[in-house]
Amino acid sequence: MRIPQVERSTRDDAVVAGVCAGIAQTVAVDVTFVRLVFALLAFASGAGIVAYVGAWALLPGPEDTEPARRRRRVGGTVLLVWSGILALGGLGLSNSIVLPLLVASAGAVLLRRESRTLGVALIVAGIIIFVAHNSRGSATTLLAPGAVGVALIVIAGPWAWRVANDRARAEERAELAARVHDSVLQTLTLIQKDPENARRLARRQERELRAWLYPARASGMLADAVDAAAAEIEELHGVRVEVVHTGDAPLEERTQALVLAAREAMANAAKHSGVEEISVFVEPSAVYVRDRGRGFDPEAVAADRRGLAESIRGRMERVGGTARITSTPGEGTEVELEL
Amino acid sequence: MSRPLRRVILVDDHDLFRAGVRAQLGAGVEIVGEAGSVADAVQLIKELDPDVVLLDVHLGDGSGDAVIVQVTPERPAVKFLALSVSDAPEDVIAVIRAGARGYVTKAISGAELTDAVHRVADGDAVFSPRLAGFVLDAFRSGEATAADPELDQLTAREREVLQLIARGYRYKEIAARLHLSPRTVESHVSAVLRKLQLSSRHELTRWAAERRLI
Repeated sequence: MRIPQVERSTRDDAVVAGVCAGIAQTVAVDVTFVRLVFALLAFASGAGIVAYVGAWALLPGPEDTEPARRRRRVGGTVLLVWSGILALGGLGLSNSIVLPLLVASAGAVLLRRESRTLGVALIVAGIIIFVAHNSRGSATTLLAPGAVGVALIVIAGPWAWRVANDRARAEERAELAARVHDSVLQTLTLIQKDPENARRLARRQERELRAWLYPARASGMLADAVDAAAAEIEELHGVRVEVVHTGDAPLEERTQALVLAAREAMANAAKHSGVEEISVFVEPSAVYVRDRGRGFDPEAVAADRRGLAESIRGRMERVGGTARITSTPGEGTEVELEL
Repeated sequence: MSRPLRRVILVDDHDLFRAGVRAQLGAGVEIVGEAGSVADAVQLIKELDPDVVLLDVHLGDGSGDAVIVQVTPERPAVKFLALSVSDAPEDVIAVIRAGARGYVTKAISGAELTDAVHRVADGDAVFSPRLAGFVLDAFRSGEATAADPELDQLTAREREVLQLIARGYRYKEIAARLHLSPRTVESHVSAVLRKLQLSSRHELTRWAAERRLI
């Protein structure tokens, strides 16, 4: 249902606030007739005056923005309801029927249009007023509001459900939009400014997005710690570290040593292999680090190279594990760390 | 190395990605068609009868396994190779169980992808390290939750082969290390694939539940 939008007139046919002229333009009657109606209503306990103010608030000016219109609609509706009560009271109808009816119908109007919370509140208020006024009446007068209440729940129930759902979905969307903006869009901007580092930036972005889409395993676990170490190596050296795991183990002294040794092995591969991809495989008590780079002759490595000797071998041996390093010049290197 | 020309259909819901793959694929592979949805893919594959379908795990209107399930009864000779950026193990396992001959991640290089297409067309299984990890995990939890006679366990050798794949070894390197022929390595991998495809849904559901995937 589309109600034609009535706007206050701003043309020179406006006398006070352009309310009567605006209504007359929209419903295509003479403006004098509209003014007469308001004037007559003014005699019914001043209803016409209240109605005029209400209509002024309710009808938007052509220049009003949507939030302003919305605020005005709520206030205007309240004033119009008041004028309605005054007018019908003037006709001698009992307040016990008129008041709740008007309050509830104003609520229904608001419900269909803007302020849903207020709409529901007004409808409920109408029912309460009705019940309060008629509570000494017969069983039928008590039955009526009950029936109205049930009908209301039937009507409003699905709507309330939908509103709650929509809100949840909207929040989800907002969160996603924020996430995409903060991460993906920023990264794309960076890549445009700094194409040199495109690979590293893209890789970091990929990792972040992945971590968000597939939340990490419980922290304090081996696989998680190796992932974190791999991320650091990627960040530091601009290589890609592909970590695969099967099973997991809690982090304690020994598995901690395993992680640190693995990190050192990854760093060595990143620095010396000359290739950009490193494979890491994690089992509950072993980590394997492999690259397909230039390799080296393990015998020829100077004894004072601390990386291999201390950080990897020494670390593993101290916790009762082993480190085996296999490397063939031209074919790559594998470091096997086992507990 | 003269390999026959392979006719390939590319199924992915991202145009950009399809363009990337097209540019990367090397010699001996001809892309005869592309599709971006399950419905289009099924129709196109039945019509063109390609050697290999490169199949994204996630499509706009469904998942990759739906394509395989709908095509295979009519075109049993078409081979599927799953291709994905997704890490969700249950999705990958679902495509493999539906009949895909392998799974590679989208980060794979053009040369490796070309090689994988040829191998799948030859009837081989193509396991990326990541898939090997998923599969080891699937069978591991089967082991931990008491013996289910319906689930064939992996043999020690199959497990060893999978572990080496997960560590980044190629079949030839695995063969050398385990003193086997590359053909034997391949047959172990195919056996693993078969076991996975035959294992009971119940078992895999439990595996997924344990990992809080479902």
